[in-house]
Amino acid sequence: MKLIIAILREDRVEDTKEALETIGVRGVTFLYVTGRGQQKGRVSVRELGESLNRNMRMQLVGTWPGAGSLLHNDTEFAFGFLPKRMLIIVAYDEEVNRIVQAIVNSNQTGRHGDGKIFICPMISAMRVRTGELGDKALS
Amino acid sequence: MIWAIIRPESAQRVIKALDITGIGGITRLHVTGHGKEMGITLGAVHYTEIPKEMLMIVVPDNDVAKTVMIIRTEAKTASKSTPGEGTIGDGKIFVTYVDDAFAIRTAGKACGT
Repeated sequence: MKLIIAILREDRVEDTKEALETIGVRGVTFLYVTGRGQQKGRVSVRELGESLNRNMRMQLVGTWPGAGSLLHNDTEFAFGFLPKRMLIIVAYDEEVNRIVQAIVNSNQTGRHGDGKIFICPMISAMRVRTGELGDKALS
Repeated sequence: MIWAIIRPESAQRVIKALDITGIGGITRLHVTGHGKEMGITLGAVHYTEIPKEMLMIVVPDNDVAKTVMIIRTEAKTASKSTPGEGTIGDGKIFVTYVDDAFAIRTAGKACGT
C-alpha cells in the first residue's frame, strides 16, 4: 500500500480528476495548500496572463507606475507562497505507476511550478463504516 | 519527508531560516488541532481547535537532521520557567520515508531525493 502525495496547479485539478477517473481511481482527497519550490514563488508575466484575469493584471500594472513598459513576457514577480492543490491517494503498490503517469500527463506544461509527486509507504488502512482493515479497505 | 506543526506566528521565521540554508521547496497547510493538554481554557471558554501551520518539506536524507534543527530553533518560543526549552504549543516535527519523488515538469526523478 502506498501513499501518493502530489502538489498540483489549481487550474489543473479538473483535468486531473478526469484522468484519474478514467483509470479507475475513485478515492481522492484534495487539500488547499500554499507552497513554493526552488524558484521561491517567482512567476513570469506570461504565466500570470494565463492564470490571472485581465482585471488583476491591470491592477498589478496600476500599483507600480511605469510597470506597463516593463511587463514583457519574461519579467518575473516574486509572490512567495503560491496557491496550490495537494492531492492525496492511497493505492495498491501495482497501481502506483499508472497513477503517477496519469497525474504527469494531465499536469505537465513544461514550465516551473508544475508540482511534485511523492510516493511514501503506507502501513494500513481502515474503512470507518465497516471496520475493514488493510487491502480490503481500499477495494 | 518532514511534517512540522508549528505556531502560525513563527512560520515566517522558520521559512526565512530555511531559505538562508537553501531549502527551497516548502508546502504550507493551515490546520487546527490540540496536543496532550487538550487545548486551552481562556476565561470560561475552552478551545480545542487551536490554529497551527503545518509545513511539508522533502529533503535528501543528509539534510534531514539539519532541517529539523533549524525548524526546532526557530519555532521554539522563549520560556521563563525553564530557560533553553520552549513553551507548550510550540508544535511537533515528524519525519517519514519517501520511496520516490517525481517532478511533473520533467516527468523525471526529482533531483536530490
